[in-house]
Amino acid sequence: MSWITVVWSMNAAACLTLAGIYLLVWCKQREDRVYFVLSCNAVAGAALTAFELALMRAKTVEQYGVTLRWAAFPVWVVVVSLVVFVRLYLRAGRPWLAWSVCGVRTLALILNFIFIPNLSYLQITSLRQVSWWGGETVSVPVGGTNPWILVAQLSLLLLITFFVDATMTAWRRGDRQRALVVGGALILFSAVAIGEVVLVVWGIIQVPFLACFSYLGLIAAMGYELSSDMLHRADLARQLQLREAELLEAGERMELAASAAEIAVWMWDIVRDEVWITDKGRALFGFDSSEKLNRDRFLSRMHPEDRDSVLRTVEKSLQTGAEYESEYRLVLPDGQLRWLYGRGHVEFDCNGQPVRMRGASVEITKRKQAEEQFRVVVEAAPSAMIVVNNEGHIAQVNTQAEAVFGYSRKEIIGHSIEMLVPERFRSHHIGYRRGYFGDARARPMGAGRELFGLRKDGSEVPIEIGLNPIHTPEGLFVLASIIDISQRKHAELEAARRRNEMAHLSRVTMLGELSGSIAHELSLPLSAILSNAQAAQRILANGDVNHAEVQEILNEIVSENRHAVEVIRRLRLFLRKGDVEEHSLCINELVQDVLNLVRSDLINQKVTVDCEIGQNLPSLTGDPVQLQQVLLNLVVNACDAMAQCDIGHRRILIRAANENDCNAVVVSVSDHGSGIPDGEQIFEPFFTTKKKGMGLGLSVCRSIITAHRGKLWATNNPDCGATFHMSLPIAASRDDLVISNNGGVQ
Amino acid sequence: MTDYPSSTVFVIDDYAPVRTSISRLLRAAGFVVIAFASAEQFLAQYDPGVLGCIVLDLAMPTVNGLELQDILAKAGSLLPIIFLTGIADIPESVQAMKRGASDFLTKPVNDEVLLAAVHTAIEQGRTFWQKQAELSELRARLAKLTPREREVLDGVVAGRLNKQIAAELGTVEQTVKVHRAHVMQKMKVRSVAELARLIERCGIGT
Repeated sequence: MSWITVVWSMNAAACLTLAGIYLLVWCKQREDRVYFVLSCNAVAGAALTAFELALMRAKTVEQYGVTLRWAAFPVWVVVVSLVVFVRLYLRAGRPWLAWSVCGVRTLALILNFIFIPNLSYLQITSLRQVSWWGGETVSVPVGGTNPWILVAQLSLLLLITFFVDATMTAWRRGDRQRALVVGGALILFSAVAIGEVVLVVWGIIQVPFLACFSYLGLIAAMGYELSSDMLHRADLARQLQLREAELLEAGERMELAASAAEIAVWMWDIVRDEVWITDKGRALFGFDSSEKLNRDRFLSRMHPEDRDSVLRTVEKSLQTGAEYESEYRLVLPDGQLRWLYGRGHVEFDCNGQPVRMRGASVEITKRKQAEEQFRVVVEAAPSAMIVVNNEGHIAQVNTQAEAVFGYSRKEIIGHSIEMLVPERFRSHHIGYRRGYFGDARARPMGAGRELFGLRKDGSEVPIEIGLNPIHTPEGLFVLASIIDISQRKHAELEAARRRNEMAHLSRVTMLGELSGSIAHELSLPLSAILSNAQAAQRILANGDVNHAEVQEILNEIVSENRHAVEVIRRLRLFLRKGDVEEHSLCINELVQDVLNLVRSDLINQKVTVDCEIGQNLPSLTGDPVQLQQVLLNLVVNACDAMAQCDIGHRRILIRAANENDCNAVVVSVSDHGSGIPDGEQIFEPFFTTKKKGMGLGLSVCRSIITAHRGKLWATNNPDCGATFHMSLPIAASRDDLVISNNGGVQ
Repeated sequence: MTDYPSSTVFVIDDYAPVRTSISRLLRAAGFVVIAFASAEQFLAQYDPGVLGCIVLDLAMPTVNGLELQDILAKAGSLLPIIFLTGIADIPESVQAMKRGASDFLTKPVNDEVLLAAVHTAIEQGRTFWQKQAELSELRARLAKLTPREREVLDGVVAGRLNKQIAAELGTVEQTVKVHRAHVMQKMKVRSVAELARLIERCGIGT
């Protein structure tokens, strides 16, 4: 066989082999279109080789012309595919140049089929047989060159320009390896091939077309580059395998850990919509171990009410890349309800498309049940309940709390607790709150002081608050149980008002009984004034005026007038009906005032009063009139009790002493009468041992002393008579109370 | 009429301003006044021979007005008492008046009322004193009669005839006539009518 046939056939075979390989590669990696382009290119190369061989073996002029005409077709494919290859592989070359190459080449192809025999020759006159090495002869055409061939040659010139441009771009870009091997080979081999073809066509050299060898070099260079790419890929693949093995091991370890911690680890391949999940996870979600899982399978397990919120959270994560986090319920096939907490994050590809989501889920049913129980208990509580976190934000409220403060839950949950504190206490409250969180114990809030809450409508509501710390995994919470005491306050005010009215009534009654004594008390100074004045008139009328005496008379008139005024003042004060006023009181003055009121009665009844008032007794705080009333009542009772006694025994002893133990002053009134019946009945309303009187005195006295936070009780004396004791807290402790009233909510 | 000593007003009141003002007023009206702060003080200096009246406070510690009245009555005092009280307690005033109080006044008392009451009381005291003097004289005369003369006196005052008296006494009419003459002489009366009026006035019956 001729060596020419062998070499050209081998060339074609090589081209076809490469075409086959590239086609295979492309089939595996559809996205790498460069392999398909190369495959087409190689097929065209093989065809070109075949045409070249046919040209060399052509016997007639006609045969040569037709063959050359059809050879233009694979040339067109080669040119276009090279342009596409460069654009795809080097990612360079000006697009207008690429389009020009393709356009001009296509024009050449069209012209080629217009001219007879072809674009290269106007007429092939004869075939000259040229002798080659080894005694082989090949056909070389002889004839006039077609000037339109310049169109085809323009396209080749443009092609080389395009290659140069693309190579330079790639080089400058830093892709030097590719630019040198691929670009360099393209420029070199295409220049050689094109040069030879041009010289042959214009009849400058007498050789057949030998472009296919240059082309083989071109293919080989490109092939080398692509192979090194593939080698690189194979290397990467191997490394990946290793890495995957490591990952697998790490994954197994993690799965073990996750399973031990009862955590379900999962991964959702978003592109394929496939979910991988650990066995523990399958058990949690109630899937069997072989079931194929996707998003909808998971959604189908979720409680219908929770599905939308989970989907929304997932969508948000997919869009923003935010961490996914949600709590939801599962309804297992057997109807069992299970609470899960899930967390995960989304991974994106280089185009910013979400590709997968990894995460973990854990069962929180017990916690949820505990929370639910807690919520139910709080909701069912008869008082208003507010749960506050350690930042002072309201975490939970019940219906009663809504009712007390006039807010709906939505309006206050998440807000600061201070929104429920009246403005004037707010700044204090923040400090108190922080203090409480620092040393949280169950205790009543603001013991002994009045607390107020701020309602939505701006009004204030008196409240009582109990605080209970709750330690949770999320930190310390405080459960405040709040009781609206406005009704109680109202009732207290009403009771106080009634008590004061009763006290007033009792005073009026008592004064009615004492009216003789009081009238007498008033008649004394009036008598002295009148007599003095009339004496003065007479002295003046007599004409024998002693100035010193008149002066003395006037002094006495003034002094007695004051006395009368004082009696009237006491009387008016005693009869006054109004609010209770708290004053600091001296016990001695209190006793003297009372004794002045009953002075005449004591004289009339021949009762002697002895006082033993301790030295340096602390002051009391209270309403002077009401306390006088009590003492007066006790003194009058003592007098009445001794009405039947011998005159010598009619003695009352009033004592006042400080009781150190209880910070109180005890005032006692002792008589020598017949004593009192046992028991508490003497303090009951309408109980009386007297013929006159309604029996209200002592019950009113007791209510007055109780309102002063004191105690009133009675004992029988060892010898005879009874002693009434009243203990009153000393002023200091009451001062505390006054201060704390303004101190705010703690 | 027998001469009597000058009148003194005793003011007894435990409340000093009243005591001094009343005393001052009475002095300005020309009375001799002695004031005491208590009944006890008064009693310590009490002289039954002094004439006048007492202006007495009803309500006083220890010994009060009514008690002092009682004490004085028992002692046969002739001093009329004017009670002064802060308030006119009806039972007390009734009790006081029953026991012979001269007046019962309420404080503050107008000077005219008080002075009128004091005048009246002093007058009353004088009358008492006169009566008391007459009674003493009469008793002295009666004391001079023998028992038989006294029996005859009783018969004469009872309006019986001499012979009836003689029959009662178991004697003769002539003896009765002698006794009767002695009685008329000793009693310093000239007629039986005068004797009868005297006996009746002194309240000494048979």
